Amino acid sequence: MGRGGAAGGFAAVTVWLEIGGKKHRVQVPSGVGAGVTECVVDGRAMHVDVRVLEPGVMSLVVEGRQYRCVLDGDGVVIDGHRYGFEVEDPRSLRGRRGGGAGAEGPRPVKAPMPGRVVRLLVEVGDEVAEGQGVVVIEAMKMQNELKASKGGRVGKIGVSVGDTVGAGDVLVVVE
Amino acid sequence: MLIANRGEIALRVIRACREMGMSTVAVYSDADRGALHVLHADEAYRLGPAPAAESYLRGDLILEVARRAGADAVHPGYGFLSENADFAEACAAVGVIFIGPPASAMRVLGSKTRARQAADAAEMPRVPGSVRGLADVAEAERVAAGIGYPVMLKAAAGGGGKGMRAVTKPEDLAGAFSAASSEAERSFGSGEVYLEKLIEQPRHIEIQLMADEHGNCVYLGERECSVQRRHQKVIEEAPSAVVGEDLRRRMGEAAVRLALSAGYVNAGTVEFLVDAEENFYFLEMNTRLQVEHPVTELVTGLDLVHLQLRVAMGEELPILQEDVRLRGHAIECRIYAEDPENNFFPSPGLITRLVQPGGPGIREDCAVFAGWRVPLDYDPMLSKLVAFAPTREMAIDRMLRALGEYVIGGIKTNLGLFRRILMDEDFRAARIDTGYLERLLASGRTEARDVAPEEIVAVAAALFAASAGGESVLAGDAGEESRWAAAGRREGLRL
Repeated sequence: MGRGGAAGGFAAVTVWLEIGGKKHRVQVPSGVGAGVTECVVDGRAMHVDVRVLEPGVMSLVVEGRQYRCVLDGDGVVIDGHRYGFEVEDPRSLRGRRGGGAGAEGPRPVKAPMPGRVVRLLVEVGDEVAEGQGVVVIEAMKMQNELKASKGGRVGKIGVSVGDTVGAGDVLVVVE
Repeated sequence: MLIANRGEIALRVIRACREMGMSTVAVYSDADRGALHVLHADEAYRLGPAPAAESYLRGDLILEVARRAGADAVHPGYGFLSENADFAEACAAVGVIFIGPPASAMRVLGSKTRARQAADAAEMPRVPGSVRGLADVAEAERVAAGIGYPVMLKAAAGGGGKGMRAVTKPEDLAGAFSAASSEAERSFGSGEVYLEKLIEQPRHIEIQLMADEHGNCVYLGERECSVQRRHQKVIEEAPSAVVGEDLRRRMGEAAVRLALSAGYVNAGTVEFLVDAEENFYFLEMNTRLQVEHPVTELVTGLDLVHLQLRVAMGEELPILQEDVRLRGHAIECRIYAEDPENNFFPSPGLITRLVQPGGPGIREDCAVFAGWRVPLDYDPMLSKLVAFAPTREMAIDRMLRALGEYVIGGIKTNLGLFRRILMDEDFRAARIDTGYLERLLASGRTEARDVAPEEIVAVAAALFAASAGGESVLAGDAGEESRWAAAGRREGLRL
C-alpha cells in the first residue's frame, strides 16, 4: 500500500492484491466510512457508494447493484461466497514476520509465496538500508522485489538465482 | 428435567421443556461452561474435563447431579448416553425417568445383529446376510460366498459409518474383516461384525416412529437421507421424492410391527435401504431422537420433543395414525466446522462473526454464537439449517436463499458444499442414492451462481485491507464522522 494522489477528495491508498491467482492494483480512498467515492481497479475507475455498517461489514453499491461484504480473516464473503485475498505489500509483510525478532538481532527476509528467485540484489557483507531491495522472486508471472525490513549487514544468503522457494522460506538474513 | 447432552440438541430440549413449564438442569464439561445450552438452562452443574469419557459419558456423575438438583427425568438427546441401555436402567433404579425406550427394548433393537433377528420375527424384509456376529474370516467367507459379492461388513454395535467396509471381491475379504473388526473394537468397545449383501445405489430412507406405554404406535412419515459422505448424513429431507402413499404405508406398518414386537416406547427411527425397484430392506433401528427430526416436525406439524416428554409421563399419544398428514417439503443442512477444500478436515476454533439467515420458512437449530470457541473435543456440527416450503423445488430455492444470507467467520465450514449440492441438476431432479455425494465431489461439477464480479471483490478487499493496515479507519465510528462531515459540506454548499 502506498499513498498516491487524491481520489474523490480523500487521500488515496494503493493496494496490490491477489485474488484467486490474479493480481490487482486497486486505489481506494482512505478515511471513507460512508459516501460515494472513486475507486480504481487495474486502471479502470468506478464510482462506489460505500457504507460501513460495523467493523468488517460494509455495503457497496455500484451502478445500482448492492453487495453486502463481510470480512472473514483473509477473505471477503459476498452473497454466501467467500473470496480469499492476499495483500501484497512490503509493510504488511513486515508486520507479518515481525513477531519473532525485535529491532535488534538478525532479521530474515522470507518468501511471501511460492516462486522462483530471479535476481539477487546484494552480496554477503553488503550494508543495506531499511527498505532496500535485496532479492527478486517471480510467482504467477509477476516479479516481486523483497526489501530489508531494517538496516544492517547481509549475514547470509540462503538461495541462488533460479532456485524454487516455498512460502516462508528464508532467502536473505540481515544482521 | 436434566439434559444429559450439549450443543444444539441440548438447547432444543431445553426450549421444549420451557414451553411445557418444566425447569431445566444443564450439565457441562470444562470446554462448555460458556456454551449456549448452559446459558439457557435454569440450573447448571459441572461434570468434568472436556473429553466426553470424563464428562458427558459419565452416567454416574449425571445421576449424581440429578439427585442434587432433584431432577425427575433425564433427556439424553442423541449420541453420548442416548442408546446406552445400562444408563437407562441406572436411571430407572434411582427413580429417574429416562426419556426414551425401556432398557429391554434398547437391548433388542440397539444391537444391529439382535435387531436383525427381531426384524425376521416381525417379517420385515432385510438385506440378505448374517444375523449374528461372525466368528472368524472363514465364516465371513462362507456367508459371503452364499449371498454373492459385493458385500458389506458392519459393526454390530456400530453407527456413523465406523467399522464398515464394502468388499467387492473374495480376496479383499480377510483384510477388510480385520480392519472393520479392529475399528469397531476401538470405536464401540466390541469387535463384533456381521456381513450383508451390498445393495447397489440404494437410497437411505427412514421411518419416524412414536409409541406410548399403552400399546399405541404411529409412524410419522419418512425422511430421505441419501446425501451422505462416508456414511454420515449431510442433507435430509421429508418427504422423500420417491416414496408414494403405498410404499410409505408398507414401510411404516413394517416399522410399527417391529417396534411393537420389542415393546418399544417413545421416539425411534427405523432405517431402510430402498433400491431402484422400490424394494425396501431393514437396516437398523435408532432408539432415540434423531439429529434430523426437525424435517419430520415441519411436514407433520408435530413437536417430537413435546411428544417424547408427554409419552414419558405416561400419557397416551394424542394422535392416531389417520391423524398424521404430511404437508409441504422440508430440507435440512447439517452445518459442520470442517474444511471441504481440505478433505473435510475438522476446523474448530473461534467464531468471529455469525450472520444467521431468517425470513419465511427458515428454522435453525443452532448452539453457537460470535465469540464462541468451537471445542475440538466433540462432533463438529455447528447448526442445523432447515427450510420448509410447499414443494421440494421451493424448499431447495428457499434453502439456497438462506445460505446466501449466512456468514460464519473465523472457522472453515461446509456452507459452500450445500450450495453446490442444491444447485446440482441430479439433486434437483432427486436422482440421489447413498453414493451420490461422493460422485459429485469426485466430478468437480459445480454451478456458478451469484458470483460477485472480480472488481467488486477487489474493491471490498482493498477497502478492508486499507483499514486493517491503519492507513484509514474504516470503522463504524469513522464512517459516522465522515457522513457528518459530508453532510456539513453539503450544508455549506447550500449556503
